[in-house]
Amino acid sequence: MSEAVPGPAGRWFDGSTSRGRPVRVDLLPGARGPSIRLVPLGVDSGRSAAEIAPADIGWPEAWSAHHAPSVLVIDLGPHGSLQVHDVVGWQRARTLAGARPSLATRMLTHWPVFLSVLLVSAIAVFAFYRWGTPWVATWLARQVPPAWERSLGQRSLQGLDDARMTQPTRLDADTQARLRERFGQVLAATAVPPGQKPELQFRAGMGVNAFALPGGTVVLTDGLVRHAGKSGLGDEALAGVMAHELGHAVHRHGLRMLIEQGVLSVGLGLVLGDVSNLLALAGTTATGLAYSRRHEVEADCHALAVMRRAGLPVAPMADLLETMEQAQAGPAPAPASAPGPANAASASGPTARSAPSWEWLSSHPATPDRANRLRAGNTQGC
Amino acid sequence: MRTAAASRLHALSIDPDDIPDAQPATGPRIDAFPIRFTGDGASYLRLWLVNTALRIVTLGFYTPFARRKTVQYFFGHTVVAGSPLEFVAPKKRMLFGFVMMVLLLISWKIAVESGQDTAASLFVLGGALLAPWAWGSAMRFRMTATRWRGVRMQFAATWGEVYRASWPIFLIALAWIAFVFAVDHAIPDTPPGSPPRMPVKPSWDALAFPLGALAVALLTSLFAGARLDYNYQALAVARCRVGNQAGRWKLRYADFVGLWLATVGVLLLGVAAALGVFFATGAAAVFGLRAGGPSTGGLAFVVLILLGLVVGGLLLVLSSAPARAYREARRFRMIWNQIGLSHIARCKCRLDVGRYVRLRLVNLVLTLITLGFYLPYARISEYRMRAESVTLFVKGGLHQLAGQLAREEQGLGDALADAAGLGLIT
Repeated sequence: MSEAVPGPAGRWFDGSTSRGRPVRVDLLPGARGPSIRLVPLGVDSGRSAAEIAPADIGWPEAWSAHHAPSVLVIDLGPHGSLQVHDVVGWQRARTLAGARPSLATRMLTHWPVFLSVLLVSAIAVFAFYRWGTPWVATWLARQVPPAWERSLGQRSLQGLDDARMTQPTRLDADTQARLRERFGQVLAATAVPPGQKPELQFRAGMGVNAFALPGGTVVLTDGLVRHAGKSGLGDEALAGVMAHELGHAVHRHGLRMLIEQGVLSVGLGLVLGDVSNLLALAGTTATGLAYSRRHEVEADCHALAVMRRAGLPVAPMADLLETMEQAQAGPAPAPASAPGPANAASASGPTARSAPSWEWLSSHPATPDRANRLRAGNTQGC
Repeated sequence: MRTAAASRLHALSIDPDDIPDAQPATGPRIDAFPIRFTGDGASYLRLWLVNTALRIVTLGFYTPFARRKTVQYFFGHTVVAGSPLEFVAPKKRMLFGFVMMVLLLISWKIAVESGQDTAASLFVLGGALLAPWAWGSAMRFRMTATRWRGVRMQFAATWGEVYRASWPIFLIALAWIAFVFAVDHAIPDTPPGSPPRMPVKPSWDALAFPLGALAVALLTSLFAGARLDYNYQALAVARCRVGNQAGRWKLRYADFVGLWLATVGVLLLGVAAALGVFFATGAAAVFGLRAGGPSTGGLAFVVLILLGLVVGGLLLVLSSAPARAYREARRFRMIWNQIGLSHIARCKCRLDVGRYVRLRLVNLVLTLITLGFYLPYARISEYRMRAESVTLFVKGGLHQLAGQLAREEQGLGDALADAAGLGLIT
């Protein structure tokens, strides 16, 4: 151990009374930071010095590089506390004794350190939410028992039916049988994960829409089937939609979204909640929408691969997407795209809701881009 | 120091009955120590930014350290009789409490979102039963971690006292359970499977019962809430020990009932004003839309509804803000005017309630405009106004406090209380 560094005078409150004792504060360099020796002064000067181990010392924070406080209080743990008025003398003695300021302290006193940490933290957050959370969600979704996933999907559909958001289908039996045949064709070309039992269901209500439920159930609305018929787009367009929705089911997007939203709301709430709840909400929403758009791209990729394997054309589905958007942009009131509670557990349909310039505010990628990629069979990003 | 304190008395124009200015011929002398706050917005903003950045890098695990630093900033700049307050909570305990809290929160979220109703209700029930324990252990933790001139504070209430003081919680819960049952009773059962029927015509007779139950539940919440507030505050002060001295509590339940009723009055005024503004702007907007002709319909209407939602939300926050600030200020003044430490110390508080409410409203608007980045300045200015309104009067000198060994507490209760919104600083 090297030489003790003589420090400033101070008052020692040892915790037994509120009366302070005058002391000289010496700092002793050590491997685990400096320790403190309190040498009694004045009337007590005959008494022996007390030594405080590094583990018991709580060093006071330097709150600012410019404004030194009028009095420093050093926490001595079970030995009470120490007050020092000569702040400059104290800092000099600390440096001489080999004390290194912590990262948090250097961030408080040096702008470059602060800005570097800010940059690192921005990158860390981006990486965590861009790659970390989706990866964890995918892994976790695979661990969920298939039976539990199926029951989650059944409950979601039951919830929609109970809330009268969906009603029994009014399509005729022929149409249903024809589409079921198509579904079988698409399904045959799909690699279904073990435990999932994909099936096709029809429902009235919820406008022009299609959605997949956790567990593999694909729901087409009467509105969508009629719209495809009216636009002169045959069952092949609907087969593409089925392949897209089956993609959601196969990739377990419903469950993954549930997990991703959970991590988002807890994580961003924790980090940004103190700054502003508004900011936390905006961050959660924007990131959630980004995840949703990536799920849509994944489902489109799935549709491309399956349709190619089944020997079916993809172009009709692209046309369907575009006519749907035109129908919505027209003077007719937009169909209710149901953001109901059950929808949180399902991956919603191919309905595009916003103009391209607002893509980051939308749950789906911009429709013209999607349609073009499908037509071109563009597997970039798959 | 004594002459300085005495000369400050003139500036503060304190009631001469409370504090003899000159040394009286008989009896011990009394010194006045106005509490000073030496923090400032700029340096706290810096600390706040550093804390936020470090919390982000550590995915939130810096939170307990950030909390500790924040409390140390406020305490360390609160100067009582020349010595700042000290906050010396052990870091490990705060981290442990935080981790436990996060695990609880995540399992609760999963239980709720995956529809596991039994587990979720168990959480709620357990939370209610443990609420008094959480409050009590938060008080113990915080007081034990607070020192002045090396002498620890201590919360000496037993668990029996804490649970006995908590009876209003259970009364409020009972009142609301009764209300739910009353509503259940009033709505006729529909057999499962049959389509839900809208009640054809609600008769006043059928509505009277649930409405009565609602009124009872609201009134119970008001009076029992005031009682709980009173009980806890009384316990916190009377069972607080600083060294060998016990806290002194003189307020009555009636004082708290008066405060809560006045707060409800201010709240109703605020809501009425907000509703007035909301409907006036709404009517103006609708008229403007009509004048624009039918071509502007559709989209403009949607924008109008969105705007209405945003403005309505803001007004909701703004309309309750005066009531919250009013309650906080009056409660603070009431308590700090009466609080004392056995026979050696008394506090006087000269907080101007009107000024405090105005400060809070200005801060709220500035915080909203800056998307939250004014918050550090807002906190500093409010804390300063509260802290500097208090003067401590000490009889017989400051050296009579003797420390006592206090049992250290786990940090879980503190983390729970923090999650429930019981701030250490505010």
